[in-house]
Amino acid sequence: MEQLLGYVVVGLATGSTYAVIGLGIALVYQVSGIINFAQGDFVMLGGLTYAVAAESGAHPVAAAAIALTVTAGCGAALHLFVLSPARDAGHDRLIVLTIGASILIQGLALLVFGADQHFAGSFGGEHQFQAFGISISAQYLWCAAVAAAAATAVWALLTRSQSGRAMRALAADRETARLMGIAPLRTGLIALVIAAVLAAIGGIVLAPIQPPDATAGVPLGLKGFTAAVLGGLTSPLGAIAGGLLVGVVEAVVTGLVSSGYRDAVVYGLLVAVLLVRPGGLLVAAVRERV
Amino acid sequence: MARLRPFAGYLVLAAGLLLVPAVFTRVPFYTMSTAVLMVLLAIGALGLVPLTGLARQVSIGQAAFYGIGGYTSALLSTRAGLDPWWGLLAGAALAAAVAWSLGTVIFRAQGHYLSLATLAFGLALAAVVNELPATGRNAGLSGLPPLHVFGVSLTGDLPIYWLGAGLLLIGTVAVHLLVRSQLGSALTAAGDSPVAAAAAGIDIAALRRTAFVVSAVLASVAGSGYAHWFRYVDPSMLGLLNSVQLLIIITVGGRESVWGAPLGAFTVVTLTEVVRGRLPGSGAEAELTAYGIVLVLSLLVLPRGLAGLPAALRRRAGAR
Repeated sequence: MEQLLGYVVVGLATGSTYAVIGLGIALVYQVSGIINFAQGDFVMLGGLTYAVAAESGAHPVAAAAIALTVTAGCGAALHLFVLSPARDAGHDRLIVLTIGASILIQGLALLVFGADQHFAGSFGGEHQFQAFGISISAQYLWCAAVAAAAATAVWALLTRSQSGRAMRALAADRETARLMGIAPLRTGLIALVIAAVLAAIGGIVLAPIQPPDATAGVPLGLKGFTAAVLGGLTSPLGAIAGGLLVGVVEAVVTGLVSSGYRDAVVYGLLVAVLLVRPGGLLVAAVRERV
Repeated sequence: MARLRPFAGYLVLAAGLLLVPAVFTRVPFYTMSTAVLMVLLAIGALGLVPLTGLARQVSIGQAAFYGIGGYTSALLSTRAGLDPWWGLLAGAALAAAVAWSLGTVIFRAQGHYLSLATLAFGLALAAVVNELPATGRNAGLSGLPPLHVFGVSLTGDLPIYWLGAGLLLIGTVAVHLLVRSQLGSALTAAGDSPVAAAAAGIDIAALRRTAFVVSAVLASVAGSGYAHWFRYVDPSMLGLLNSVQLLIIITVGGRESVWGAPLGAFTVVTLTEVVRGRLPGSGAEAELTAYGIVLVLSLLVLPRGLAGLPAALRRRAGAR
């Protein structure tokens, strides 16, 4: 029983990173109406670039800066060269485009970084602390702290800045927002870059715990989707709560059952939520218009 | 003229399928096993024409149905000792049942949940198959008997190719009839404007579910064919790359037309072989990169795929 509490703590910490990944997915979906299947690959790209830079001797802060820049640039490129040219396309084509971008990023990462895992040390050295009968790496605290800071920054951006207001306006009423002079493409670009940065942050703080390789993006992206869908895909707070839930379920299943079924349970959770409450667990069931 | 055109298309397809063995055994690059792969993938991709091309619903989990077909065939023929054809039929029935149940619930909600649900369902199924002792865990199941026709068992690439080509022709006719039927028009309407279609009294959810079931059955048949050809199944059959490959095939070939499936399968398998064989030191990384570039470029430059190329050229010529 005591161990269970330990797993919950670990789950909440890893879940906080899934929360920021999911936050990026929900943000892009709200602003542009696009389900961005490349979000998981942004996580991979951020984590892998960070680990590779750290391995080659860069200071962790410098490595993180490089990783954030690379991933943000990749997000901007996705919007400018792939999504913007197809802005008149239907949602189905946009979805397939992000899938194409996702495998392209994965392939390029394999070409550049190879197929091997890369290792980065924990922030501020290896520390373990004992809690609830299990030993927990201090990196989990970093995960939770950084994720909380990132989520707070996004909240401040959405409520306090001009482009944040533009994003919320587009999410609330696309046509009216356009009439009021908000440029959907430019705002969409900002949203996608923010999503990429959030993904990279998730990837960087997770890198010391789950050493990334070029194929790490799909499962991490799926956990972000599960987080976002649990929260109803439209609510930033819901995505955060969803991420925490995914982390806890994952940690408890791994700890109590087996790590083999971990992925099956997390993906099964997404299927179950989509089947039972496609509007999200935390949102009152709303019949969407067609 | 418009009435003649499908027959012309069938003639070209049949002639192409008939010529493949003669050509592929004489040129250095293609082999009969690539030809088998092409027809099987074309059968699997065919089902995406009504679903993705007409109803505009994206499935990223077709490999799950491919795997359901393959594993049902494997389990029934090796464990239960049933005739391979029963395995193929049972796999198709199971795939249809799964797609029907999944579709019943998922299409209640509007939006783009199918892509998420199929992605998660496919990965969950792959993870379960990888763990269950009954499905042989990550080692898979081996020792499948070959399919047979009129008492002749189909071993080797050429007989399997003829069977696959026959199934592809039948599948093309069936999907073509579906596309040109009233159901096909309704699917197109629901894809173009769900609001208008719903206002016209069309039950969009039931329509999308029908298209999803058709796609699942065709993917399952392709999976069973693959299993009895390879005589072996493993969890990589259900891998995400297989789902994405079918999506690339129908996108590159042209998702709004039945001819897109064979065109796309030919193009994508050729591309895979080129990348694997011709680029120095290449493996999965070059393949993924090539797939990504082709998928993005074809969507941006040729949204109707290769099958839409003649119409696009004609329009351009007319505009001048």
